[in-house]
Amino acid sequence: MGGQSIERREILRYIGIAAVAASFPGFSRWAFACPMEHPRVTPRSQAQSYKPLFFSGEQFRMVEHLAEMIIPQDDTPGATQAGVAEFIDFMVANRVPVSTSRDIRSTEDAIAAGNEAQNRFVAGLDWMNARSQSLFKHDFMQCPPEEQNRLLEELAYKEKFKPTTESGREFFQMMRAYTVVGYYTTEIGLETLGDPGLQTAWSQIPGCAHPDDPEHKILREPSAANVSNNL
Amino acid sequence: MTAKTFDVIVVGTGAGGGTAMKILCEAGLQVCALNSGPRTDPDKDYRGHRQVYDLKFRGYGDPLRLQGKAHQEPYSVEESEYSEGRDLFEHDVAYSNAPGTDWYWKRCKATGGKANFWGRSSARFGDIDFKAADLDGVGENWPVDYQEISPWFSKAERYMGVASTVQNRPSNPDGDYLPPFPFRCIDQIIQKGAEKIGVPYLPDRCAQLTVAHNGHPACHYCGNCSRGCDVGSFFSPTWFTIPEAEATKNLTLVTNALVRAVLVDENGQANGVAYVDRTSRREVEVHAKVVVLAASCVETAHIMLNSKSRHWPAGIANSSGELGKNLCDHLYGNPGYGYLPQLLGQPPRPDNIADSTIAWMPRWQNLKSPREEKFIRGYSVYMGGGCGGFPGYYGQLEGFGSKFKRDIKRFYPATIGGLIQAPSLPSPSNYIDIDPEKKDIFGIPQLRFHFRWGDNELLMWEHSKQVMIDLFKSMGAELWGADDEPNRPGTSLHETGVCRFGNDPKKFVTNKWAQTHDVPNLYICDASIFPSCTDKTTTMPIVAFTMRNCDYMLNNFKTGVHKRA
Repeated sequence: MGGQSIERREILRYIGIAAVAASFPGFSRWAFACPMEHPRVTPRSQAQSYKPLFFSGEQFRMVEHLAEMIIPQDDTPGATQAGVAEFIDFMVANRVPVSTSRDIRSTEDAIAAGNEAQNRFVAGLDWMNARSQSLFKHDFMQCPPEEQNRLLEELAYKEKFKPTTESGREFFQMMRAYTVVGYYTTEIGLETLGDPGLQTAWSQIPGCAHPDDPEHKILREPSAANVSNNL
Repeated sequence: MTAKTFDVIVVGTGAGGGTAMKILCEAGLQVCALNSGPRTDPDKDYRGHRQVYDLKFRGYGDPLRLQGKAHQEPYSVEESEYSEGRDLFEHDVAYSNAPGTDWYWKRCKATGGKANFWGRSSARFGDIDFKAADLDGVGENWPVDYQEISPWFSKAERYMGVASTVQNRPSNPDGDYLPPFPFRCIDQIIQKGAEKIGVPYLPDRCAQLTVAHNGHPACHYCGNCSRGCDVGSFFSPTWFTIPEAEATKNLTLVTNALVRAVLVDENGQANGVAYVDRTSRREVEVHAKVVVLAASCVETAHIMLNSKSRHWPAGIANSSGELGKNLCDHLYGNPGYGYLPQLLGQPPRPDNIADSTIAWMPRWQNLKSPREEKFIRGYSVYMGGGCGGFPGYYGQLEGFGSKFKRDIKRFYPATIGGLIQAPSLPSPSNYIDIDPEKKDIFGIPQLRFHFRWGDNELLMWEHSKQVMIDLFKSMGAELWGADDEPNRPGTSLHETGVCRFGNDPKKFVTNKWAQTHDVPNLYICDASIFPSCTDKTTTMPIVAFTMRNCDYMLNNFKTGVHKRA
């Protein structure tokens, strides 16, 4: 399964303990700024004519479709609107190892990991089509949504795993990792979470608002009615 | 400038060197400060308010950015895109690891060094630390006690500005504090849970300005401290000591000066240093009456080991043979992470806008007697969690689609995790030396690490994982897991030892004033003098000991022990 070492870094990152480490680099959330201005990802509406850097047109449409299945538009924008497919294409083309099990100690390691990601994406998309052909006699993109969903569920949920689909599951995990990173590193994605870091000046830390309930036993989950509890 | 002789040369401009040059310049001495890399420019280098989506590679950096460099290992995800185009981190000078050693040496070569980005945890050491060898018979005591050093801690705290509360725990002496950060929801819950298992959970001592202090503005809580503060609301040489030293007009700051060796006169006393000017690659000599090394722990010892002469064939001030020995470090790792079901689905709250260790579990083990546990001494644990930035926990959540997206949001306020800070014990097998084979691109013999975690710190690591299991249970929390193994040595940036201070010239490199026993006009102002590692961080003590040791040096100038140039 890809991403063990990255996963660990991300865990440290999200617990916000970064600085703890006294550390500069060590553990912080990842965004150190860089001195050059870079264009933000072009909003999808203006990017109809996007020319992929790495993927073929057909592969790109499949990546975009899978990303939108993983993070769909519902009451908040989905992966397509956040430009996730363009992000994936850019990162894969530039061989940036977003999700890798490799220990990167040199440029050579980074390139090897980047090459591996390119190969895994191409092979993974092929695998999806082959699987789709064997199950439904069509390429993935030609299948109706129910069939696409069924195929993905077999790769995503432990209880639905089928034998001999390990490589497909690995591809799905990688595709999901790139999608999540691509989505939650955009303004759109961070806004759906209400990331407090989007506001860069606060007069103070508000602190806990429940002093009478230090264990927070009587807090109600506001949206509990809409959210399923089984993980 | 080579013609001029300075009163003092200070090598390094970080927490120790910056403080030394400020004090010496303010006392009227002519100081030459040598910094191995370029000048830090907060406007260009910190850029803390940039968002991740403003970065071309979303923070991952160009994978080819270190191509052709002598040391290509990226120091972290953050460093990558942060330093792109600005050459702040050391990738030109390589180092070696002996077989079986995997030391991760992260170096910031720009002025201010790692103290531009430090974590700001600033607990005082106590007698339980200074006299640890008396208590358990292992290693060496410090040549000072708490009563003697306490006023210097106060002085450092008042200068830096440290936020905390009075806690009345002798193992964690209280200091002079600014108002503390308030507890967040996660802190309240953790504190209650910790109380049930007999573990303290208290405000950390944090060098971050909760109110305006000594002309520095109060924190504006952008949450980006670890990228450097854009306005100087926490102590860093860039905002504090360096400008203050420059204001005296007594400072000559030389950048891109990679120091190779301390030079000696015909009596074997220090009379200057030789450095490589990185721009021209030429070797330059600069002379002074006193030399202060503050190059960051192991680099200080590296320079000294490379300072060989007829007087000092094994490296300057190394008649004891102890130079480079007894390297210690903090074992770091995440002993437990998971989530608080109480907070699932709560509206996002600004939990990490201080980017700081709001609270921690200061050492609670072996306080009554030194051998209550299977290990000696003790460790501390920082806790973090709550809302902020990228949802790195997504890997714990199964599936895809709207439910997956809702789950990611639902867990955003609820995730927590720990970070153990466990001191390694001094060990004869943990040391640095000069690689006999390899030289860096400037022709300087490379530093080589020999280091492995010992049994004592690994017992602490196992202990901390059990504590987290108990803690999560008592909080009603769900534990997802823990790190498989501790982080690589060097990760904490808290290396100590290698130039230990003590009274016996046969056993220690410097005396209790950080003045080398062999060469009285050579001083050391970094954590290399600390004879042991504790459960606390090193930066504030580096500043405090530097203040104290510079005071002693100034007195030596007054009384004529050191002559002015």
